[in-house]
Amino acid sequence: MNKDKLKIGIYELTGCAGCALLITDCEMELIDIFNAADIQSFLMVKSDNIEGELDIALVEGSVTTENEIEELKDIRERAKVVVAFGLCASVGGIQARFGNKEWKENYQKIYGDMEMTHTKPVQSKPIDAYIDVDLYLPGCPVGKEQFLHFFTRVLKGAPPEKYPRPVCVTCKYNENDCLLNKGIPCLGPLTADGCGSICPNHNLPCTGCWGPAEGANPTSEYFLLKEKGFDIEAIKKRMSNYSGTKLAEFFEQFKKESK
Amino acid sequence: MKKISVDHLARVEGNGGISATIDGKIVSDVKFSIYEGPRLIEKLTIGRTPEEDVSMSPRICAICSVSHKNAVLRAMENALDVKVSPKSYLLRELMHMGEFIESHSLHTFYLALPDFLGFPNAIAMASKYEFEVKIALEMKHFGNHIMKTINGRYIHGENAVIGGFGKYPAREELLQIKTRAIHFMPFVFKTVNLFCGIDYPDCPDAPTLYACCEPGDNKFGFWGDEILLSTGKTFHRDDYKKLTNEFVVSHSFAKHSLYQDKPYSVGALARIVNLGERLEGEAGKMYKKYYSSKWKSNPFFHNAARSLEILYSFERIPELVDEILKLKEDKSIVDYSAENGKGTGLVEAPRGLLIHHHEITDKLVSQVDIITPTAQNAEDIERYCHVAAQKLLDEGKEDQIRDRMDIIVRAFDPCISCSAHMAEVRNAPKNNWKMQLEEVTQKGDPAFIGVGNPTLSDDGAGIKLARELKNAGIQDVLLESEIEQDEDLWINDSDRPLIFLDAVDFNEDPGKVTLLPLHLILNNTSLSHRLLPTVSGLINYSKMKNTYVLGIQPDSLQKGNQLSAPVEKALNEIREQLTNIREQ
Repeated sequence: MNKDKLKIGIYELTGCAGCALLITDCEMELIDIFNAADIQSFLMVKSDNIEGELDIALVEGSVTTENEIEELKDIRERAKVVVAFGLCASVGGIQARFGNKEWKENYQKIYGDMEMTHTKPVQSKPIDAYIDVDLYLPGCPVGKEQFLHFFTRVLKGAPPEKYPRPVCVTCKYNENDCLLNKGIPCLGPLTADGCGSICPNHNLPCTGCWGPAEGANPTSEYFLLKEKGFDIEAIKKRMSNYSGTKLAEFFEQFKKESK
Repeated sequence: MKKISVDHLARVEGNGGISATIDGKIVSDVKFSIYEGPRLIEKLTIGRTPEEDVSMSPRICAICSVSHKNAVLRAMENALDVKVSPKSYLLRELMHMGEFIESHSLHTFYLALPDFLGFPNAIAMASKYEFEVKIALEMKHFGNHIMKTINGRYIHGENAVIGGFGKYPAREELLQIKTRAIHFMPFVFKTVNLFCGIDYPDCPDAPTLYACCEPGDNKFGFWGDEILLSTGKTFHRDDYKKLTNEFVVSHSFAKHSLYQDKPYSVGALARIVNLGERLEGEAGKMYKKYYSSKWKSNPFFHNAARSLEILYSFERIPELVDEILKLKEDKSIVDYSAENGKGTGLVEAPRGLLIHHHEITDKLVSQVDIITPTAQNAEDIERYCHVAAQKLLDEGKEDQIRDRMDIIVRAFDPCISCSAHMAEVRNAPKNNWKMQLEEVTQKGDPAFIGVGNPTLSDDGAGIKLARELKNAGIQDVLLESEIEQDEDLWINDSDRPLIFLDAVDFNEDPGKVTLLPLHLILNNTSLSHRLLPTVSGLINYSKMKNTYVLGIQPDSLQKGNQLSAPVEKALNEIREQLTNIREQ
């Protein structure tokens, strides 16, 4: 392999494998991707994987077993840049919704008291609960365009584009009628952009699957939603579906306002 | 003991491994492990609205996200008594075709074909098979394109909702799908000839039971309201638990399933075995050209079956588009008002039968049960790997076991995210049976049955050992002749391990002791014993998995009532070990 090429590893922890699959979904670009970079490890696609020093590690999935904690720490040691690739790695995924006690109860309901011989389960957490993360690329799954923009920029040594704005921004560009104005509880104002406002494009309310938007203004959102007569508690509950462990910090502002 | 393992199965969707333990000449254990951690999906949507459940539960799996979407929608719409418009129904079938094309072309060309052409991955294969690799990518892309057009996104689209669709695709988009499907046909024929024509490695005869959806009307198809078994038996969707009997195993976060205490297979091969006769058109012709009875007992033919399904899907797409375009414009979402109900939805995911059961109480989800194809295949994957590993070991090709198991697992196209990655070969340490015996006794106090013929010298080892154990005061030891008197002890009590004591010919050094689970022996081509078929007929599979044979390699089986010196030595060791364990 060419020494000048960036060494990249793609790793899957627990999740639906959709973000790794998304890379294979770049069908027309896939061979170019493999030629442009030195893909050292990508278990879903190849068997001849090398686990050595890396320039970039893309980690998808959340951490749910002790083995994964070890694997993740090993990746961090080997990689110059670690990217939380997708919603699960960024916020813990839908499986990180439960509090500690609720998780234990539900785990017991499904697996009973059986002791697992292959590894020990832990409550689902995003990867930054265990290691330092350099970049976040949320999405359930990460958008194809989002990934290709990121990949080409990184290959050229340029900083990747960030998506701090909420879904509403793209939704306006797409000239959709605002669903909130129609009384439909859309999560667009609170949710990170990157999907291209896909649900409102189909006349459906945003489900929140990109997780909380970094640049959203929760205080102003709180008053706006309240003024329009939405049930704040129901919105919080819906927002929690895809916000994992990052929901609490996001709604701190919300909480302050409601007092 | 030696362990052969593929710790991280490559070229599968998700993270898993398979391991075989080799004790001398015997493969004494095979485990299909899922490292993918627990996600508790079935509990995540409890207390949420049905709409949120429909958005979230397909997140179980990316590659089967459309199958999960169609399954949860069928379940919800059964529960809430919603009947979607004919247009929505056909569009859902069209997006299902998209997933089959996407998933099958990814699996056959990219994940499986490198195995049969001897490349580490498809990208490396591209240097020699550039045309195949490129067109297959386009085919996969086309499958994705269909899903995106109809469901809004490649993976986890949200356009399909309870009652129909947020928005119907435009007429032009559907016509374009039809035209492209027709353009692909020459390559699709090439695909079928390629995958049906591969000289797949032999798999030792291990027939299984196949299960799939019954599409009804004597048609081939990917969903239905009944489950059809290869025996001809059918179950209504609400009785799905009669087929699947999920249980937790300690080496995986994916549950395993058994039908009437026996492993069964689902997937492309199950559909072609059960429904192949019904294929019409070009797919029907190709089925008649290539299908033979050997497909039934060899999982490698899953790949051939997938290629027939790719052809079926490509033929079905133009028909579907024509039917959809004939229908009048209607409201894309049907209204519904039910607040309570329970429903089951059955679909065929590319890797097999997928079952969703959802219950709604007072507008909120109160119960969810999801049974994925890989969970149903897990037991059969272990069984086929064992049979193949033992055969290779018998032939002296131990070095091939790891790769062969890897390929077998991959043939099932396991979707590990669904089921909760894969191959390892281990060598047993010396005196492995002692450790195993301790493990077994930790599960419960074992009962023993001594078997053999004391007039054929070493064949009497089991009987002699049983008598000695009785004399040493160990409880619940039976002789072969006494088993009818105390059936309760060994038929009914499945929590308690049962150990047969017997002289077994492993082609080993005389006196070598091996402990292995009975269900593995039954598949073992080099072992057989008059008693075992009888016993296996009487006890159920879970009991069988808790039943073991403590085998001693005989030296001589000539007429006589004396045991050889190595066998005598082995008996002493066993007796000592058992007394020690009992005393602890």
